[in-house]
Amino acid sequence: MKELVVENLSKVYFDPRLGERVTALDGVSLRITPGEFVAVAGPSGCGKTTLLNLIAGFLEPTSGRILLDGREIDGPGPDRGVVFQSYALFPWKTVLENVAFGPRMRGLPRAECEARARRWLELVGLGHVANRYPRELSGGMQQRVGVVRALANEPEILLMDEPFAAVDAQTRMTLQEELARIFEERRPTIFFITHDVNEAVFLADRVLVLSKGRLREEIPVPIPRPRRWAALVENDSFKALVGRVLQAVRTA
Amino acid sequence: MRSANRSDGRDGLPAFFWAAAPFVVLILLWQLVVELFDVSPLVFPSVPAVLRAGLDGLADGSLAAHVGASLLRVATGTALAVLVAVPLGMAMGTQRGIAAFFTPLLRFFSVLAGIAWIPIATLWFGYGFGAIVFVIFNAVFFVVTYNTVLGVSTIPIELRRAAASLGAARLAIVREVLLPGALPNIVTGIRTGLGFAWRGLIAAEMIATSTGLGYMLFLARDFYRTEVIVLGMILVGAIWLALDRLLLAPLERRTIERWGLVRPT
Repeated sequence: MKELVVENLSKVYFDPRLGERVTALDGVSLRITPGEFVAVAGPSGCGKTTLLNLIAGFLEPTSGRILLDGREIDGPGPDRGVVFQSYALFPWKTVLENVAFGPRMRGLPRAECEARARRWLELVGLGHVANRYPRELSGGMQQRVGVVRALANEPEILLMDEPFAAVDAQTRMTLQEELARIFEERRPTIFFITHDVNEAVFLADRVLVLSKGRLREEIPVPIPRPRRWAALVENDSFKALVGRVLQAVRTA
Repeated sequence: MRSANRSDGRDGLPAFFWAAAPFVVLILLWQLVVELFDVSPLVFPSVPAVLRAGLDGLADGSLAAHVGASLLRVATGTALAVLVAVPLGMAMGTQRGIAAFFTPLLRFFSVLAGIAWIPIATLWFGYGFGAIVFVIFNAVFFVVTYNTVLGVSTIPIELRRAAASLGAARLAIVREVLLPGALPNIVTGIRTGLGFAWRGLIAAEMIATSTGLGYMLFLARDFYRTEVIVLGMILVGAIWLALDRLLLAPLERRTIERWGLVRPT
């Protein structure tokens, strides 16, 4: 099985607005085992998106390394699927073509790519919009497509960058439950970035608190699955864990 | 129903009518002035004389030959320019070094685009097809390059990242993301460039050839055929309007509708 290992990762960049060098990440180490759901919580500017961009291969680290299955990563690749806050669906492609994109890039026959895309769309109840264009869908539906597009490519790990931050609160809870359900059924490995403490505790097996570029605390979430909001909002251990993470975020 | 129709009746036939009406007025005025002041045909032709010149040109095939020659040059020059400009624009839009090298050059040469190239073009290619196609190429090339760069730069970085993390290699990113993402701008560039090209074409044809609309205009001057000159001027304007309204503008609109980016909120 493929394990993600981050070793002593740092990222320093020059900020032209401030006119000085900024340390976005400062010696971060972590390890994600297969089938694990890890969330990173922290205020904006804490370096969490930089961490995800480094793991995705969109940025190069200043020092330290990132290993997937023992091999150092080199640029973006299909072994690490990414779900973006802005959805990043191709506006000139239909929903089906968007989801079939990854398999097609791997050279699978078109018919097989489309069959696979259709299967995944059915799974999240989006079969009926397969031939629509992204702009015709609501934000929540677009992000469902975004998640399915990444999953249909069967990555080793799914990297999610505040994926539900741009949708309304009601839709966000639905999407969180859907992601929990997909995770419970298929056990993909997920690395999830959020500033929403409730979301982090609801979804993750483990919450890492990041602040000013350093990992401050690691809080395991031993709440049994399946997890649903109706059962958890009044759950004492859930509330206690949220309180603990919140305190860690605020004091860090 | 009827009053609603009248208030937004600017599409379809009514729109055409409103666009044509000023020209009808202008033509009537023109004929009135020519008759009232008994204008000599050496100074300005009458409307019937221009119509006759048009019918004669149609009958002996010379009009079709001139218009055909002009259109072929424009099409060739534009096609060549797009074939070079789009890849260069793609490279400039993605590689900072290439952009830094070419941007000042493009700024300089875009000022020269058009008829400033006629003297050197005729030295290089002689009088005729090559020189004029070269002038057209220059008129279209710079604006399409510029618009391609602009188009690539409007594509959100996330789309390129998404493609890369789904396994798209460099060339696949160009084909699947950069080209479709920049297409609305490219088409706008082609439309603008063709506008420059058409103006440049007429000027170039006056100097560097022996067929085409521009040549027809210029030759007629030597024989004091004002009716042919005016016919040529009307054709230059009318062909461009038809090309732009019936072909380029709908193409641009459809490209934007089909391929245009809807920005994430």
